[in-house]
Amino acid sequence: MSELSFDAVTVRFGGGRNAVTALEDVNLTVPSGRIVGLVGESGSGKSTLARAAVGLAPLASGRILLDGRPLVQNRARRPLQIVFQDPYSSLDPRMTIGASIAEILPRGLGRVERAAEVERLLDQVHLDPRHAASSPARLSGGQRQRVAIARALAGRPEVLIADEITSALDVSIQGSMLNLVRELQAELGLSMLFISHNLAVVRYVATEIAVMYRGRIVEHGPAQRVLTRPQHEYTRTLLAAIPGRQPLTKHEGART
Amino acid sequence: MKTRRILRTPLGIAATTLMALVLLTAIFAPILWGDAAEVVDTDDLLAGPSPEHPIGTDNLGRDLLLRVLVATRLSVFLAIAATVIAVVAGLILGVLPLLLGRAGKPATWLVGIAVAFPGLLLALFFAVIFGSGWQGAVLAVGFAGAPSFARLCQTLVSAVAARDFVAAARVGGVGRLRVLTRHILPNIGEPLIVNATIGAGGALLAFAGLSFLGLGVQPPEYDWGRLMMDGLAGIYINPLAALAPGIAVVIAGLAFNLVGEAAARSLGIEVGAGPVRRLVRRMPQPSASPAIDASEPEHADTVLDVQNLRVSFPGPDGEITPVRGVNLRIRRGEAVGIVGESGSGKSLTALSIAQLVEHPGEVEADGLRFLGEDLLHGDEASHRKLLGTSLAMVFQDPMTSFNPTKRMGSQLAEVASQHGDSSKRDALARAVERLGAVRITDPERRARQYPHEFSGGMRQRAMIGMGLMAAPQLIIADEPTTALDVTVQQQVLNLLESIRRRDDVALLLISHDVSVVAEVCDRVLVMYAGRIVEELPADRLQEAAHPYTRALLAAVPDMQTDLNRPLATVPGRPIDPAQLPHGCAYAARCPLADAHCRTADPELTPVRDDFRAACWHAGEPLPNLAADAAADPFETAEQVEADQVGAEQAGAEQFGAAESIDVVVEVQS
Repeated sequence: MSELSFDAVTVRFGGGRNAVTALEDVNLTVPSGRIVGLVGESGSGKSTLARAAVGLAPLASGRILLDGRPLVQNRARRPLQIVFQDPYSSLDPRMTIGASIAEILPRGLGRVERAAEVERLLDQVHLDPRHAASSPARLSGGQRQRVAIARALAGRPEVLIADEITSALDVSIQGSMLNLVRELQAELGLSMLFISHNLAVVRYVATEIAVMYRGRIVEHGPAQRVLTRPQHEYTRTLLAAIPGRQPLTKHEGART
Repeated sequence: MKTRRILRTPLGIAATTLMALVLLTAIFAPILWGDAAEVVDTDDLLAGPSPEHPIGTDNLGRDLLLRVLVATRLSVFLAIAATVIAVVAGLILGVLPLLLGRAGKPATWLVGIAVAFPGLLLALFFAVIFGSGWQGAVLAVGFAGAPSFARLCQTLVSAVAARDFVAAARVGGVGRLRVLTRHILPNIGEPLIVNATIGAGGALLAFAGLSFLGLGVQPPEYDWGRLMMDGLAGIYINPLAALAPGIAVVIAGLAFNLVGEAAARSLGIEVGAGPVRRLVRRMPQPSASPAIDASEPEHADTVLDVQNLRVSFPGPDGEITPVRGVNLRIRRGEAVGIVGESGSGKSLTALSIAQLVEHPGEVEADGLRFLGEDLLHGDEASHRKLLGTSLAMVFQDPMTSFNPTKRMGSQLAEVASQHGDSSKRDALARAVERLGAVRITDPERRARQYPHEFSGGMRQRAMIGMGLMAAPQLIIADEPTTALDVTVQQQVLNLLESIRRRDDVALLLISHDVSVVAEVCDRVLVMYAGRIVEELPADRLQEAAHPYTRALLAAVPDMQTDLNRPLATVPGRPIDPAQLPHGCAYAARCPLADAHCRTADPELTPVRDDFRAACWHAGEPLPNLAADAAADPFETAEQVEADQVGAEQAGAEQFGAAESIDVVVEVQS
């Protein structure tokens, strides 16, 4: 698989005096075959970074590199794919599940090959292949999010970007989605940028954690190190704010 | 299905009948009477109504009734042709910004300018350019209608284009044109068709106007407008000659508009709002679950006492009851949390306590007392006053809870002047003071700002401040921190906690996040399928007795979760409130369930000190739940999510109720 790097990326919205700098001089590398967790508060630029990577937000300066070469995203090759937060907005309500996935498949496949490929992808995200003929309205939020992942995989990505993919889901579903992410990563060896505001979720899937604050990466390192020995003040604030941490540790202490 | 239902309504029947009448006339009248309408009778010029000619004749002695009927075809054809031109031209202008990106900007400006011109002026302008005659008139009316369609298209297109599935298609390498044809057009088709139908009615009128002015259809051809113009000359002799084509225009126009409206209804587009009312009533029926609380003496410091609360909605297959008998008692200064998945009925419980469940929802209870006042009986106005001053509601999205056009200070002050009978200046001073009390820095400056100038966390604090304008005895917070960042969440939770400690205010905190509830509350109620299935002390969650509570706790990763094992998932599928099983609602997902569980519904009974659970097997060890999860964690994944749709739809219904809350809050507070 491939290594994705952001090289001094700056993104601005608007122009003139009203310009807002969403990302400033961001340097971040997602090593090949690793999951990098990106945390930060809303408005810190996490999602803008994701959108910039796939070309949905224009760069004011800097470069996005894939294996050291400038990223080329075109009709034939789309090495970066993205899964969005809201599974209710990310599937076309007028299209069947199968059609949504088939649309992203590489060109030049025959009808039968496409159907087989859609079936394989649905199976890969643990959905019944018979869902291919269903419309999104008949699926639950968790199932839709699985379809969105299958569609991203249909583009045969080298790097997958997951932008808050569990935030809109019920807590009882969140667990199975995180299991799926870890499983796919292990199976396909994908490099992944996993964005979330929930540190416990990021801790569970990521090997490295980057912390974003006001459009800048303020800390980046191995997950264990960032969580246990945070260097930046903001990371410490984030860790202190996790709810239920105190009661749970208290309890653990009481039991041992 | 829905279309068929609409067709059976009076509106649907009227629309289809009228439309069929108009279209049949348009098709067959010229065939049947086309020649008869041209027969010149020089003996009977400009005659009045007679048995032979029911509405008289024209200046060549031709029968006017036949001419009105025959004119239907040309009139309707012209209206439809012009509408097609308007829609096509509008569509092209409307999608240009999407297709061309930045280069399509001028199309937006052009439409913006064109929309500013009155339609009739444009039609006259084009009619002069294209010359008289029906071809010119069609182009004129068509192009005159194009700007408004273009504006509609641009709005619809940009709404769809902003959605994630369009972004996903673009990232996946789908070209702009394909995005347009595959994703955008199918999603804007319905509102376009509806508006085109209604637009056709307008075009019909425009033609009548143009022909009447002599710019439209020229003799020997004739449409309704032409007939009206001819009839006008003799209006004092034979008024029917001008009125009859006018009536024809009205009928056909009505047909188009009614069809458009019926189509809008069947496609689910709102046209006007239905009545809104609030229903809370008491049904003296035996309680579904024993009111354990009722046996306990009611303390003087009880703030809220709810007995056997039920909320139901009409469903397609009979009544759906998302809340089925909730008992709840909160004492002064106590913090109680309710947790549950979406669709469990937790938010509806909160809404019904605040009397905010809207039609068609119905709230029933054996008892509903707030500060000793019986909310089920008595004067509604005094209840509103009591709730307005003593109950504060905090919702998930503070943006929709404020009026975006009013300054924060005056919105808070409004509450005080509504209930506290204080002067405007005092109220404003108190608003500033309250903003300071919820730790908003520089409250005087902030009070002069508008809601959009506040950050999410500040808005939520201001919302709490609004609740504190009076002296609340109970704060109900429904997912107050779900839309906020963890750091801000902590501030809001701390604020709620400090208010509770300082003023001895009771707190009912509703959240899907167990850890949030555990941090703030003394007692936790776990809701499942519209019932409280477990009640336990917040600091002893790990000792939970109900298998559902235990599964819920295990499914949420925390900072101690074992990274080498898959996360536990709650097995099975959540309950659809429309399809409640016999026996325990959780039985289908429960590893401990046996035959007894599937036939008899357990009631909330004490398990041990401070613990109560509705489970036949409360506290029994779970058979290899974790081991199963480790062996094949994904096997159940699909089951978990399948059929959650029903539960989520019930949740959506609650949202429907929640959306309309803000209005009520204004009144209430």
